[in-house]
Amino acid sequence: MKLRNYHLKENVTGYLFILPQFLLFLVFIVYPILEGVRLSLYKVQYQKETFVGLDNYITLFNDPVFFKSIYNTVIFVVFIVILTVGFALFVASAVFDKNAKYVSFIRGSYYIPVMVSMVVMSMVWGFLLNPANGLISYAAKEMDFSIVNLLGNKTTVLPVIIFVTFATNVGQAIILYIASMIGVPKDLFEAAEVDGASRLDVIFKILIPLVKPTTIYITVINIIAVLKIFVVIQMLTGGGPNNSSVTMMYYLYNNAFKYNQLGVASAVGVIMFFITLLLSVPQLRAMFKDK
Amino acid sequence: MLQVKTKKKRDMYDIFSNSIIVLFALLNLFPLYWLFTSSLKNSSDVLKMPPDWWPSTFTFSNYSEVFSSQPALRWTMNSLFVAGLTTILVVAASSMAAYAFSKLQFKGKQVIFIFFVSSLMVPKEVMIVPLFRITQELGMVNSLYGMIWPNVATAFGVFLLKGFFDSAPDALREAAKIDGAGEVRTFLQILLPIIKPGIGALFILNFVQVWNDYLWQLVIGQDKEMKTLMVGVATLMQDLNPNFAYKMAGATVAAIPMLIIFVMFQKYFTSGIAIGAVKE
Repeated sequence: MKLRNYHLKENVTGYLFILPQFLLFLVFIVYPILEGVRLSLYKVQYQKETFVGLDNYITLFNDPVFFKSIYNTVIFVVFIVILTVGFALFVASAVFDKNAKYVSFIRGSYYIPVMVSMVVMSMVWGFLLNPANGLISYAAKEMDFSIVNLLGNKTTVLPVIIFVTFATNVGQAIILYIASMIGVPKDLFEAAEVDGASRLDVIFKILIPLVKPTTIYITVINIIAVLKIFVVIQMLTGGGPNNSSVTMMYYLYNNAFKYNQLGVASAVGVIMFFITLLLSVPQLRAMFKDK
Repeated sequence: MLQVKTKKKRDMYDIFSNSIIVLFALLNLFPLYWLFTSSLKNSSDVLKMPPDWWPSTFTFSNYSEVFSSQPALRWTMNSLFVAGLTTILVVAASSMAAYAFSKLQFKGKQVIFIFFVSSLMVPKEVMIVPLFRITQELGMVNSLYGMIWPNVATAFGVFLLKGFFDSAPDALREAAKIDGAGEVRTFLQILLPIIKPGIGALFILNFVQVWNDYLWQLVIGQDKEMKTLMVGVATLMQDLNPNFAYKMAGATVAAIPMLIIFVMFQKYFTSGIAIGAVKE
């Protein structure tokens, strides 16, 4: 009896400790997800809501701009994630075993753009790429490059956005890789050295296989981060020229806060929700495997 | 140890890759150099082509213009308030929950924890429409509290701090129990002080994240006076004022606090972020 009381008490204490976080979760995460699914089935006009079934989804799949936004988002995800993982592996594997000062210089110089945020970096890049008086446009003019307004041209706008996003955010992946590589047992390198392995052998045969969990983690968090790419689009192109750089998140934002199409915007949100959920399965599985 | 090795046998690939990496690191810092020096140029020098690589005359007038023609001081205060209060609330709620998940036994613990952590992978932005409507119903649109509360609901802190609680020895808790300390006292006086490094890391990481948040603050802070620094400064880009030096000064104002935090807490940073990777 006493034991049971004790257990009951410990149960209650546990619940009380998680209560604040749990309530916030219900209100600001669980409820919005359910409400989002519901809204996606309604036509919303201010206070008036009319059930329309799957109409919002049908509207979406008849809108070429929505397809353009999916296409662009996929392009961004694929290229930015590959560049980020590849370059971060290249940097981390070259510097992780150098002296501490050098490592923190490299880490710092790639991480500072992450710190000062996408908003600030977008403003600088917006200035650098400004067709009238930007440094890059000036350089393009001097070198007789045919395209001066790189953001205003359909063929160059995507590569430029990919580069800017990659250059701003790669620091995080570099930090994660360096931390993970520093943790690799030293005797493995010693053994490789005895065998006369070259630096590249060490990188490809020891480092890359051993940091695989980090690679999965970086890949998943970057896919999800790029999936909701918004700031750089809003600040540099506004989705243009002629919708050629519109992304899913930008499309969602415009429908919700510019065109007041809350039902359609919710439907985009629901689609994005399921995509992220699906993509995060490998990471979640890895996180719970050792529990 | 490996130092010796590289001295012994200079690998060509090693030299080649590190040269490229240093070059790129400097190139990567160039936009920030350009931001900073441009903000100190006068309105005609900043448009000069070919450009002045170093300002020929220095002026702080762009900064005073940012603070006089825009409520930039108010924006800064808003950002400090939003980032500060969000972070305090996150630390409070997450440390309590993390303590329970790590040290207490209760029914459904595992399931609730999985549910918490799964939410880490879903970005809030995709639920922005329902989230906005809830905030509206709570009367918190165009209020700083509307920017704060939804962001307190994050599992990141729970996940991070649970790791720290897990490595704190159980014996400490049992000793406190024997001394007759209740659960709340054990938590506040015995375990919280032990996980201080974790709390420090969470505080800084969360503060930076909220400071740099954009989309949610953009839709919630509608009046000019209710904007945060990031959102306010971003509006300078659309400002009709053609003076780019003035826009760059605004961006610098938004960036400087984060640069200071980075320099001061670099260690916290690199370790704090790395925890996510070590944990999988």
